[in-house]
Amino acid sequence: MTELMLPDSRRCTYFFLYDGRRVKGEGDPTREGICYFYPEETPLDKQELLCGQLAGAGRCVSELSSSPVRVLRLRHNTFSIRMKDDFFWALGCSVEVSTASVCELLDQLINLFCFYNGSVRRSYQLNSQETLAGRWAWYLSHLQSGSLELHHIFSCLRTIDSTNIDPLLLLKAALILQACQRCPLVAAGCILFRGRVVSTQMSPDLTMKARRSNGPNTVSSTTVFLTTSELQYLQSAPVDKDFSSRTTPHKSTPTRKSRLSRTLSDTPSTESEPSDTGSSQSPQKVSSGPRSSCSSVLSPDPSHSFAEPPTQQLEPPLSNGKHSPEAEEEVLDESYYHSFHSNRDEAGQMHNEGDGSLFGENSHANGGGGDGDTACGTVFDFIGAEESHGDNVLQEVSRGVRGKVPGHSAEIPDPPRAAAFDHQGECPLVPMTLYLHRVKGLVLALLVEPHFLSDTESMEEVYHSSLASLNGLEAHLRSISPGAPGPPGPYIFAHFDCIQSTLTTNLSGRAGGAPERPFVRATSLLHSHFCNTETLQEAIIRSAGAAVYGTRSVAQETYFQQHGGSLRNSGIPNHQDSAFSLPGKARHRLLKHGVNLL
Amino acid sequence: MKCLLIASESAEVLFYWTDPEFLQNVQSQYEASQEDGQGLPAFEDSISTLFAPIIISCSTMVDMLEDSYASFTTENNHIYILHQFDECLYIAVNGDGEEGEGDLRRKIYVMKKMTEVLFGMVTLSSSLLRKELRPQDTEQRARLWKLLQSLLETYSHLRENDQSFLVEAVERLIHPTLCEQCIEFLERRLVQQLNSSAERAGEEVMHAFILVHTKLLAFYSSRNASALSTSDLLVLIIMAQNMYPSNTDVDDPNPEDVESTSGSGPDSFYTPEPSPTDRDSSSSGDKVRGGVPVFEFLDPDVQMAEDSLRTLEVPQPDPSTPRRVFLDVSLKDVLYPMMPHSMYCLPLWPGITLVLLTKIPTSAVAMSVYTFLEAFAKLEKRLSEGLEGSAATRGQRTIHDVRSKLDKFIKALGPSEIQSRQLQVDWTEFKSLAFTRGGPAFSKDLIASCRKMTTQLCGVYRQCFLLQSGSSDIPQRLSPGLQERAQSMVREKLMDWKDFLLVKSKRNITMVSYPVSRIIQLAVMPCDLTYLEDFPGLIHFICVDRSTGQMIAPSLNLTERNTSELGTGPLAHFIKRKVWSLVNTTRRYLQKGFSTVTLRDGDFYFCYFLWFENETGFKLEAGDIPVLPDDSAPIGMLAWDYYRKLLRYYSKNHQGEVVKCYELLTVHLGVIPAEIILQHCRQLASKLWEPSRNPLL
Repeated sequence: MTELMLPDSRRCTYFFLYDGRRVKGEGDPTREGICYFYPEETPLDKQELLCGQLAGAGRCVSELSSSPVRVLRLRHNTFSIRMKDDFFWALGCSVEVSTASVCELLDQLINLFCFYNGSVRRSYQLNSQETLAGRWAWYLSHLQSGSLELHHIFSCLRTIDSTNIDPLLLLKAALILQACQRCPLVAAGCILFRGRVVSTQMSPDLTMKARRSNGPNTVSSTTVFLTTSELQYLQSAPVDKDFSSRTTPHKSTPTRKSRLSRTLSDTPSTESEPSDTGSSQSPQKVSSGPRSSCSSVLSPDPSHSFAEPPTQQLEPPLSNGKHSPEAEEEVLDESYYHSFHSNRDEAGQMHNEGDGSLFGENSHANGGGGDGDTACGTVFDFIGAEESHGDNVLQEVSRGVRGKVPGHSAEIPDPPRAAAFDHQGECPLVPMTLYLHRVKGLVLALLVEPHFLSDTESMEEVYHSSLASLNGLEAHLRSISPGAPGPPGPYIFAHFDCIQSTLTTNLSGRAGGAPERPFVRATSLLHSHFCNTETLQEAIIRSAGAAVYGTRSVAQETYFQQHGGSLRNSGIPNHQDSAFSLPGKARHRLLKHGVNLL
Repeated sequence: MKCLLIASESAEVLFYWTDPEFLQNVQSQYEASQEDGQGLPAFEDSISTLFAPIIISCSTMVDMLEDSYASFTTENNHIYILHQFDECLYIAVNGDGEEGEGDLRRKIYVMKKMTEVLFGMVTLSSSLLRKELRPQDTEQRARLWKLLQSLLETYSHLRENDQSFLVEAVERLIHPTLCEQCIEFLERRLVQQLNSSAERAGEEVMHAFILVHTKLLAFYSSRNASALSTSDLLVLIIMAQNMYPSNTDVDDPNPEDVESTSGSGPDSFYTPEPSPTDRDSSSSGDKVRGGVPVFEFLDPDVQMAEDSLRTLEVPQPDPSTPRRVFLDVSLKDVLYPMMPHSMYCLPLWPGITLVLLTKIPTSAVAMSVYTFLEAFAKLEKRLSEGLEGSAATRGQRTIHDVRSKLDKFIKALGPSEIQSRQLQVDWTEFKSLAFTRGGPAFSKDLIASCRKMTTQLCGVYRQCFLLQSGSSDIPQRLSPGLQERAQSMVREKLMDWKDFLLVKSKRNITMVSYPVSRIIQLAVMPCDLTYLEDFPGLIHFICVDRSTGQMIAPSLNLTERNTSELGTGPLAHFIKRKVWSLVNTTRRYLQKGFSTVTLRDGDFYFCYFLWFENETGFKLEAGDIPVLPDDSAPIGMLAWDYYRKLLRYYSKNHQGEVVKCYELLTVHLGVIPAEIILQHCRQLASKLWEPSRNPLL
């Protein structure tokens, strides 16, 4: 499927990270401070010029206003800026890209980096500049990788086209995730197919970060770092509260108001845990004191992020998690017990049921055609292969991810566990483990407690309970041909679910996409208007070529444009004007896409 | 927290304006870094030091990357807008959320427009403008900056409170009979008498108009005058308001206010002592009154400077001295920008002012200078684009023509007092470079010479029109007696109407008054027909005729003590805020090519339409509207006439037709069905500008 992309597919024209701490002295050359500069082929002179001038002018403005600069606009580029901790990030896009999306892109990029590497300062202490440059480049290209311009406008997740898919497959995916969650060490997960989300239990932000490239069919894992709010969100989920709340620092205000609509067993969460349990059980965790004062990486506390020199008040962070192995083990045991004695049977049952019904129905649908057969074949081949050296893999994984397993070679080496806590100026990041199980184009990504890897039994359980279902799901998803883009319909629409951060649209991005440009432009304008004006409910805007209707509620935004019918008019108010019948048409037409505007 | 700064490329402050908060903020930053025992540096120095890194970085960016800063936004939502005009960098700052990027950019452009009206073509030479904006003499500098500061404050006050400055179009008083009488009076009696008087010292009244607060009661242009552009007219209204601020915000101006406004004559730009009336203490929100800068100087040093400023006011300039203004003139379809005029602003009563604009006898010099400047500017542009030889001069009147004319021009200057020696020297140099034996040699080497010529020509212009009255001979102006006569003639004419006009200007039309057309059509006004009844659910509207630059809107009376239809207090303020933000929103859409916008926002339904008609009222098909970048000049008519450009763009496909452009904005209650709302809009659109409307300008 060709998709409507920006002419040169790169939204970002410049990105750099500049470390002011390395250029303190008068004589220090600017180049010393440049940690990463994109495009990398930019001549060093120009790199120095941009970094030096932007960082200098940015500092001057933030001193005048006692607040870090967020957006810096040049005549030809819009830069989103982040100033934190002597670091100066700037990400520039052409002026056509809306400011909100430039800011969003930089936030995503930094968050993605922190998710996989932990604290930026610490990462630069531990790794060579080249290694990290490679990672920035990769995250940048990953975030810009081909998707509809609309996806960028809304910064939404890319999901599989659910209209094209048997809903039972989605159910199956959800069930796989739930089955994995039976293991108390599994916090949440998501299933992706060819980079698109099939089902997720995580917040859109987290899902977006977990969405990584395809690799070989294998199991791997990597250490990731969650912000306290992300962690809290995860743990507010109604799964095995007893265990998952274990590492949650007590926080009074949840930062996310909305929760993902979970699949089946969604029960209201009881938010408050006895606040002292954490500290009394494992006193060493108190050392991560600043947690409570930092709300999240996304919205840094201004007092922390700027002008306040960090004070050395905390003990070396490596203590975290090492001082009381007993406590950990105790909990582990308990969790182990819990998962395998209370949930196991039920899980197995559900699984089987799900599998059975799905496979039954599907073999029907496929009529025993070649597709289904080959799919099954592959699955079994794979299982066979896994079984022959499966133990090996699992053992290696359980030793901690050190990049020795073939499947791991592409992974990032594991930074020390407590890397996140080294710097007081930053919000604490809590290490977790991202467990990835790839079956061809399908990826099961699970956020698990770090010691999941040392818990062979849990790992085997999760692995084996999901393997067959994943193979089956993959085969079915693969057999669905991506629906050929239908003939250009009489209308275009885009429906954005703000809660799940997903987009439904019939915009195919056919070659050129010229007729769709006005729609995309109007949508971008309206979306930022909706974002800036809380009370705005609906709008109709018309240019000479296109009339677009936009409406929003708390949970969704919908945009609609009717093709055809001459737009010839004088522009003077006329109630018979076709532009004003758009709301009615949208309500009517979009019903069949499952969008209810009534 | 607001600030506007003009700086040269070398970070020299050419002008600044700040509100008290910003001033305090800057001073506190210095207090923090200052050693004990040292006084604070002068404010001008502090602000220069603080902004210097940005200003210098800005020119580095231009030099090295051919790009420059357009704006900064901080996390606490302070906005910095930067714009460079030639070598002057304008920086506008807002830190209190009251102004958006668009407002700040607009402010910058308005400031630029004001300098053009005040300094004319001197603005075309950066080096001269720098000297003009920052006179060496500190007293002179203080006086000039004070004037510019108060003009800027008057503008900001009007933009925030006056609908005609919100949409940047002139509002007329709707009273057709009186208007007509006044126009006739201006034409037959006043202007004729003035122009036939011997005391006019060679000046000729071109335009005369009567302002009631900011609204136009009557406007007359003499037959040989070119039309006054809306942009210039709006600036003149700001200047008149600045000289004679009117208290439109209060219902019954108390005697003290009247005194303080009538006491200040033209050319006195000091701050009148704010009279401690109950108004001042009660309405803290309306702290900044038009033309009355409220500076809360906290520092004794600054206070001293302030005091010394006051003493500078003596000797007060002669109140009958006109203000020199530079206005656009189009003669035989050629636009001559910034032609010198004299502006006489004659107060009739507080709130009512007569303005006379005269052409000065030497204005032909300005036209010649402009022609030469234009020729050199074009040549310089082409040369710097890399065109050389004859390609550089193609498409303009032959360079030889310019050559002979300039020769004559310099010769004619010779015997006058104007110092033109350097012009002569540079011209000789230019000629020797350009017209060598082998024919004209137009190469890049000539660029520097072109610039020198520009500077010299601007210098001559400056001597002619900015310094002119400094010399010993009789000041060229309408004699004080003549001015007084004009004043008393109009006073006499309007004596009986004065109170009515002052009230009328506050309630030009209201939602409970009568639709315009009915006033004209019906001799006896039926009391039961009002906007409210004709258009149930309609809360407010603004209609603008962009071809003439005029607008109509019901008055929003926020301080009215007796209840208006919107009620008073919070609700009226809420509606006002909505209307103001709606105008900004629709401009944003218009900038991106959308000429129709309807919005359901909270309990309201907003509509905006822009359309074109031909002269007979036939609605023309909606056309493409150009999509502009975010940092383009603001949409409006005051600083930069967007609509004139739009009309020109649209007219390309309507050759030979007079195209008119209209805008309508409405605010309805959200419960009214959309069809009804659209019907209302249609009716309003046709009703307000039907042929029986007021005689316009």
